[in-house]
Amino acid sequence: MPDMVTLTIDGQTVSVPKGTLVVEAARQVENLIPVFCYHPKMAPVGMCRMCVVKVGTPKMDPATRQPVVDADGKSVIAMMPRLQTACTTPVSEGMVVVTQDSEVEHAQRGVLEALLTSHPLDCPVCDKGGECPLQNLTMGWGPGKTRFDYNDKVHFEKPVPLGDLIYLDRERCILCARCVRFQDEIAGDPVLGFYNRGRAWHIISQSDPEFDSKFSGNTTDICPVGALTSADFRFKARVWELQPIPTVCNHCSVGCNMTFDTRSNDIKRVMPRENDAVNEIWLCDRGRFGHHFNTSKQRLTTPLVRKAGKLQEATWEEALSIVAQQLDGIRSTTGGKAIGGLAGTSLANEDLYAFQRFFRETLGSANIDHRSGSALDLPLDDAGAQYGIRSGTDLSTLGKGTVVLVFGADPEEEAPVHLLRIRGINTRGGSVITLNGRPTKLDSIAKHALRYKYGSESAILAALLKPLLDSTPADGKRATLRGFNDLVAALKGFNLDEQASGISADKLNTVAELINSAENLVIFYGRDALTAGASVPAGLANLLVMTRKAGATNSGLISLLKGANARGALDLGVRPDRGPNYAALSNAGLDAKQMLSAAREGKLKALYVAGVDPVGDNPAAAESLKKLGLLVVQELFLTETAKLADVVLPVLSVAEREGTYTNAERRVQRFRQAIRPTINARPDWQILQALANQLVSEAVLSAAGGDKSRKQTRREEDKARVRSEWTYASPAEILMDIQANVAGYKGVSYASLQGPTGQWGRQANENYYFDGTSYQNTGGLGVQLPAAVETSSIQTLQPFSVSTPASVADRPWTLVGATFLYDDGALLTDTDLLNNRKAKAVVALNPVDADKLGVKNGERVTVSSGRGSLSLPVHRTKLAPEGVVVVPVGVNNVGLVSVVEGGATPVAIRREA
Amino acid sequence: MLKGTMAYFKGLKTTAKYLFKKPVTVEYPEVKRPVRERFRGRHELKRFANGLERCIGCSLCAAACPADAIYVVPGQNDPAKPRSAGERHAAVYEINMLRCIFCGYCEDACPTNAIVLEHQYELAFYDRRASIYTQDMLLVPVDKGHGEVPPVLQQTGKQLNPPAQIDL
Repeated sequence: MPDMVTLTIDGQTVSVPKGTLVVEAARQVENLIPVFCYHPKMAPVGMCRMCVVKVGTPKMDPATRQPVVDADGKSVIAMMPRLQTACTTPVSEGMVVVTQDSEVEHAQRGVLEALLTSHPLDCPVCDKGGECPLQNLTMGWGPGKTRFDYNDKVHFEKPVPLGDLIYLDRERCILCARCVRFQDEIAGDPVLGFYNRGRAWHIISQSDPEFDSKFSGNTTDICPVGALTSADFRFKARVWELQPIPTVCNHCSVGCNMTFDTRSNDIKRVMPRENDAVNEIWLCDRGRFGHHFNTSKQRLTTPLVRKAGKLQEATWEEALSIVAQQLDGIRSTTGGKAIGGLAGTSLANEDLYAFQRFFRETLGSANIDHRSGSALDLPLDDAGAQYGIRSGTDLSTLGKGTVVLVFGADPEEEAPVHLLRIRGINTRGGSVITLNGRPTKLDSIAKHALRYKYGSESAILAALLKPLLDSTPADGKRATLRGFNDLVAALKGFNLDEQASGISADKLNTVAELINSAENLVIFYGRDALTAGASVPAGLANLLVMTRKAGATNSGLISLLKGANARGALDLGVRPDRGPNYAALSNAGLDAKQMLSAAREGKLKALYVAGVDPVGDNPAAAESLKKLGLLVVQELFLTETAKLADVVLPVLSVAEREGTYTNAERRVQRFRQAIRPTINARPDWQILQALANQLVSEAVLSAAGGDKSRKQTRREEDKARVRSEWTYASPAEILMDIQANVAGYKGVSYASLQGPTGQWGRQANENYYFDGTSYQNTGGLGVQLPAAVETSSIQTLQPFSVSTPASVADRPWTLVGATFLYDDGALLTDTDLLNNRKAKAVVALNPVDADKLGVKNGERVTVSSGRGSLSLPVHRTKLAPEGVVVVPVGVNNVGLVSVVEGGATPVAIRREA
Repeated sequence: MLKGTMAYFKGLKTTAKYLFKKPVTVEYPEVKRPVRERFRGRHELKRFANGLERCIGCSLCAAACPADAIYVVPGQNDPAKPRSAGERHAAVYEINMLRCIFCGYCEDACPTNAIVLEHQYELAFYDRRASIYTQDMLLVPVDKGHGEVPPVLQQTGKQLNPPAQIDL
């Protein structure tokens, strides 16, 4: 290859790509060069001087510009007069590197001796002890004795908290700036900095609140000493005592690979597992610190059955037979249509598949959904699977030639690790375009940061599609695009109203051109886009098709849905209108909203709720649920819905069981049992299996009454319907069933999920100097499912139309419900460390607007729409654009659900006296 | 015949010789034989002279233990009422005496000389549970401490430089 460079390292010849640093090249010949400040994920700085090596280059004759050749015909090597830092020196042709000789060793010993002059050597009480690069390198390269006076060490107050999550021990710090660089380069929150100089030189936080970053926990991983330690793991255990169990984060749709580090049947900490295709080696703070719900004392510990108006403890046999008998009764009198089921997006694929099978086969009901039936539900998103990012895409390798379009999404709040990956693409030379209704953190790095006015989303997309449509040649290419003429018709006579949309047509033409000329196109869309109408995901899919990127390598949509397994729920048909693998159904059932209204009207007799909290999401739903004949709730906690239930069935949490999740990029990943359950709970799929089998058993039939021959026929009917009894022994068997019956999941099994484990070109013994800064993935990288469009030759344009929101004269403001990372969700139960960072129940209002209304910070306003009103204190912030009020979703005591009408809602605001 | 009688007296001579010597046996348990200075008996957890526990909960004893007899759960000291010197203490410290082989590796591993194998050797139990010695049983009384706290454990709350004042 032309861009390869050949050099000699310790006598071994090695060829590496041009631009490779000497320290990386040395890894290829398995010659370890010790490092502290260098990290493969960040730009080198050469601060610690630990990686010094001897470097020589071929001597050039200044007159002829030719290498000087000695008598043997070999080129003469001119060694550099001083040792060079291997982490900042790029390789060059013919270079000679010496990593091991007495001069290098002398220098490295000197560096370590100097570093240790100010290090307190309190390893026995340090949480990093045991996985500390400073310990390791001192053992390997350090001097046996120091010439410095032990009592002359510099001392600082210890420890100082940097915010609630991180402790800083300045004595231990070796000033490598890994944390500072991580915050600047990777997280994009430049909140850490250096202060003072000389021996008083130390790290400080420059933000208020301190260390204000959603990725602060990662600095404790990459810190090569114990200077930054997490408050969550402070003095919890020694690292060598921990047993890391591979798992998958269940807080959002990124599906970060991580481990539960356990000891004595308790989760002591959460650590990332490196998976370049998902989370590289990073985690957000919610994922890292939000594991306490697994071991919460508030968990349901035993089945509860309502007796004499009160929920009372019961045995599993009793609770299950009550549910089975009642469901059987309703099924035999009114049929399956009077039974509804809600299964949440934090359930595993196996549970969701069992759930829809239980409803469609055993109960004969099509009324299933994965949403809660509140006004804040997201619409069903199919585009994310049909036009999803092509399987095999690794965002961590994309750079030059890649355009990332972020439409109506705030990755920082909705899926934080995606923010790091988008920033990474930008750093490697890709372009980021943000098209949002309100400012987000990505705007600062975006090539085009465009702000549309809420309601004009489809018009913006039309303006992007139009130039692409016009430039598509009229020849045969159009024929391969199904729906081309419909799209032409939809955009006929369209002209962008720049006033109403807030963006000029010229700007959008530039963006369209950039998208069209891109090599790879990745489109992220989130809550704002999903709630803006069906035309928005359709329009984004059309953008892909029109730019010939649909199903193309490294291109596609990534839909930031709410919940860890929202994509799995959609894939496996936990929805009323489609079966597993998006198979069309002849008669659709009721969705969550319709179920609640049917319950209110008395048409729905029973509701089975697993991992959803309709009443918590919308208190008005209690009215409907009280009218039900039977409400069964399968939950971790006694939620508001569970309090109304007739039977409550406790389930095991993600740490106590096995299963798989499908993430936003449609990667199926496996989590494992980390701790032994100490409560009388069962995994969701087992409960459903027990019920399904009980529903066809003789006991239930005799309890249902009727003469013997009728019983016999019913039993035959039931048998025919359920085909056979469920005999799943483990989730692995359900996944085998899914693999056999759901086309999209072909080839997904626990064996294939175990998958390849090698990453990062890791070599034996490399932990020696990256110890504690990265965690090898031994649990498998998962399997990415192909998008539907990859396998079809004809590409379909989605039906698209431009809608213009009717403005309401007396409601001039726009209310937007925004997702925040730290909300009041049940998964943050007992994670008290994050309490101070949780989104506040406030109305975010632009200062200009606030002045117009004459409200100060903290004064209450009433926000009213056509449906209802809410009353909250005002928070003046530029994060809300003029004319827009932002209210958090998923935060207690907000009342947003009774005001919002789908997406952006026109509202009136009144200052309260 | 005579030879046999002589042998009888020969044996009695030995008996008679020891009849007037001080006996080697002691009346255990009333009388206890003193042990050697370096005898390795039951562990004790020592204290500093100021009464603070020497143990800092570092688990190095547990790591060194070849029999996996030691279980330590560390905890964070309350600065107002510290249990040990420094930031960290042992919240739980248990030794399973049935597992312990009295090798003394824990003593060697201990950075603060907190754990010492002392001279108590009477370790018998009626049930297995009783063989687990807890921290309360192992700790010496508060007034039986010795030695000063080393400087490395005295840095909590210490301020050499004024804290950074940054005007943001």
